[in-house]
Amino acid sequence: MANNRRHFIIATVLILICTVLVYWVLDTVLLKPAAAVVEAGPIDNLFDQHIWLIAFLFALVVVFMCYALIAFRARGDEGDGEHVHGNGLLEILWTVVPCFVVVYFAWISTTMLLDLTRPNPDEYVVSAEGRQWSWLFTYPENGAVTPELVLPVDTPVRMDLTSDDVLHSFWVPEFRVKQDTVPGMVTHVRFTPNVIGEYVLRCAELCGTNHGGMLATVRVVSAEEFKLWQSEQLAQLQE
Amino acid sequence: MSLFTLGIARGLLGQVLGMVIGMLLTCAVRILLGWEAWAAEPAWTVGSVCSIIGFLLGVGSLDDWLKWTKGIPTPMHHGPPVDKPAWTRYFSVDYNHKVIGVQYTVWGILLLMVGGTVAMIFRTELARSGLQFLGLDLYNSFIGMHGMIMIFAILLGVGGMGNYLVPLMIGAEDMAFPRLNALGFWFNVPGSILLLLSLFIGGWDAGWTAYPPLSARGPIGYQLFFLGVFAIGLSSIVGSLNLLVTILRMRPPGMSLFRMPIFCWAVFATSLLQLTATQLIGTSFLMVSVQRALGMGFFDPRGILGEVSPMVGGGDPVLFQHLFWFYSHPAVYIFVLPGLGIVSELLPVFSRKPLFGYKWIALSSMAIAILGFIVWGHHMFVSGYNDILRIPFMYATLLVAIPTGVKFFSWLGTMWGGKIHFDTPMLFVLGAISVFLIGGLSGPILATVPTDFPLHDSYFIVGHFHATMFGGFVFPFFAALYYWFPKVTGRMYNEKLGKIHFFIMTPAFWVQTLGQMGVGVMGMRRRIADYDPTLGGGQIENWQMAVTIAGFAIAFGVMLMLWNFFQHAEVGVAAGDNPWRSRSPEWQIPSPIPEHSFPAPVRVVGEPYDYGLADSGYVTTASTGDD
Repeated sequence: MANNRRHFIIATVLILICTVLVYWVLDTVLLKPAAAVVEAGPIDNLFDQHIWLIAFLFALVVVFMCYALIAFRARGDEGDGEHVHGNGLLEILWTVVPCFVVVYFAWISTTMLLDLTRPNPDEYVVSAEGRQWSWLFTYPENGAVTPELVLPVDTPVRMDLTSDDVLHSFWVPEFRVKQDTVPGMVTHVRFTPNVIGEYVLRCAELCGTNHGGMLATVRVVSAEEFKLWQSEQLAQLQE
Repeated sequence: MSLFTLGIARGLLGQVLGMVIGMLLTCAVRILLGWEAWAAEPAWTVGSVCSIIGFLLGVGSLDDWLKWTKGIPTPMHHGPPVDKPAWTRYFSVDYNHKVIGVQYTVWGILLLMVGGTVAMIFRTELARSGLQFLGLDLYNSFIGMHGMIMIFAILLGVGGMGNYLVPLMIGAEDMAFPRLNALGFWFNVPGSILLLLSLFIGGWDAGWTAYPPLSARGPIGYQLFFLGVFAIGLSSIVGSLNLLVTILRMRPPGMSLFRMPIFCWAVFATSLLQLTATQLIGTSFLMVSVQRALGMGFFDPRGILGEVSPMVGGGDPVLFQHLFWFYSHPAVYIFVLPGLGIVSELLPVFSRKPLFGYKWIALSSMAIAILGFIVWGHHMFVSGYNDILRIPFMYATLLVAIPTGVKFFSWLGTMWGGKIHFDTPMLFVLGAISVFLIGGLSGPILATVPTDFPLHDSYFIVGHFHATMFGGFVFPFFAALYYWFPKVTGRMYNEKLGKIHFFIMTPAFWVQTLGQMGVGVMGMRRRIADYDPTLGGGQIENWQMAVTIAGFAIAFGVMLMLWNFFQHAEVGVAAGDNPWRSRSPEWQIPSPIPEHSFPAPVRVVGEPYDYGLADSGYVTTASTGDD
């Protein structure tokens, strides 16, 4: 038993070191796209918590496994190991403790999801229609129809998504959120762009031959520039 | 000896004839209706249905039942066919579960090679951005083909392990329903032939998930795809029914459920899922098939706008996804539970220690199976169904982590304090644990909806499910092949080659899966032939190249294994009855196993995993009982 205690102390120290190491590696190699919406903040934060959890659990299992493989290797011995059938307390412990972790993650994700999908009375509405293999955006306030999506910065946006033919999916990696477009129904996705710049909308649901090329330019512009763009669109419409 | 003494040759001929008869039948009906005689889609659809029946009649798997209808007696024949060489039984209908198990396994490995080859082709395409040599449509057909062929291969591998091992492990003479068992296997052959044939008549471009409306408009290949899957589904249903009855009814006295070898629990849980969920994928695919052939708009919100019949659909594309995932999520557990059972089965043997927490491991399989039915919605988090329902699906999905965790921790408990041997099967078990760990740990981040948004339908998913499939099926399956190879053939494989295979394949797989997840986080979508080379700050191409090289290394490792088996099946060193010093019943009888596995009824005299308890046994058969 004393021997077992020594094993556990060494393993615990190794697990802590390994956790930090794995976190550092994952944090370095997983290159998220730049964040360009307010919602990316909490989503990326939750992502980071997951990476910590992954690092810890990975370290826990791998350290114990590798430790056991080295410490309890057969060494040419044809005998058998300890005759132990299990440990009820341990089994209960590693069933119950993860339950709390599960509820914690589910709970913070639930509140976050409710925040991400909550309607905002001030949201700016744009319709997007997916079709094989392009996007079309309609601005309800003036009826303008464009192949590129132009949005004012720092304004909550609601996209009303439809499809003309098959399933598509609205995804700008920098915006994090994603939503399928379904023929015959209107789906919604909400976000608040907060970085001026040009992004690419990429269809994320397999939609046939040129699915990979179903892209559209998304420009997030300042409020003044957006007004200017709107008046240009209006002028074009009246011509 | 004529070629047609082989059942499979007669079956293939029957399949061709069935196809032709079905097509002619279609033409005849159309002529009677006053329509143009030839229409490709209905002709191929009816032809495919008839071709499955043609194969089954040709191969002879319906013979006994047809004889029964006429009152002709059909005594059960044991042993190789009387007037033909013994090897021919593997190519014909045979009712011995050991033959059927080998048939399942070999057919599964063949499909694994086809699916792997397809993967290598498009993986080469993906090594660099831009289109090198594959067209967009062919690429789309290939990814779907790779997916569905591999699913077939896995189901066959699962069937092979279950059929070969379960009767031996519970000391039964054979499966409960030998004729049904043979029929279950032979469904797979015409099914997989239809799937492969579909590539040559237009292919299909909606991936293995075949979501309508896209799959309702694509090439004719879809019809063959749907009917091929339907045939495999029938195989799953009859096969799982057989395994359930065998496990419940054919155990020897004294073998209570909690005294079975743990693999039988895994097969039991898997069979419950197969028996009750498979109907849903069959239904969903059949509905798309009927939508295409007859214009019933189950999943089409606007109806078919074709020139033949401008009907109104009134259907819903999202409904298809519900039906589809109600099977296809449990399907994942159908694939991995037997593999995890193999891990639990082999660990005590090579650790020389009892299985830690037997009941917990057994019940965790059941818990995973039951939870498997209420998590399908996580495949549809962005599909547009009720926003609020995403929350219960999220909770249910995260709960799967708990029984899975129980398995991992119990495995660690099994190894802790043992005397661990590192033979090739054990190496693959350890590889399975490490890989399934990666697959499992990349799950919760997809289960919580906010973090699923950026990762859904990205390449991260590809990495995640390849890790679960390799950790939950491929590695344990290979472990099982190495472990039971001496029992099946009586010969030992080459241990050194086995170890080389392991040390090539395992690191290569880590690179592959982490690379796939990495490019997904960068923002690469799944199912695209060409990707934006600027992703990940321009690093994506290096990652893709690494994944491709790793993929080829895995393929090389698999070839090495097959060569090893092929080389040593007949001329290897004699393995002896029990080279692993296992307590399981199948190792207490000669290798290879005689026609009647057990010389006398098996008696249970102890616990299955009492390693370390002196002078204890699990079962006695007459031959060892006399020692």
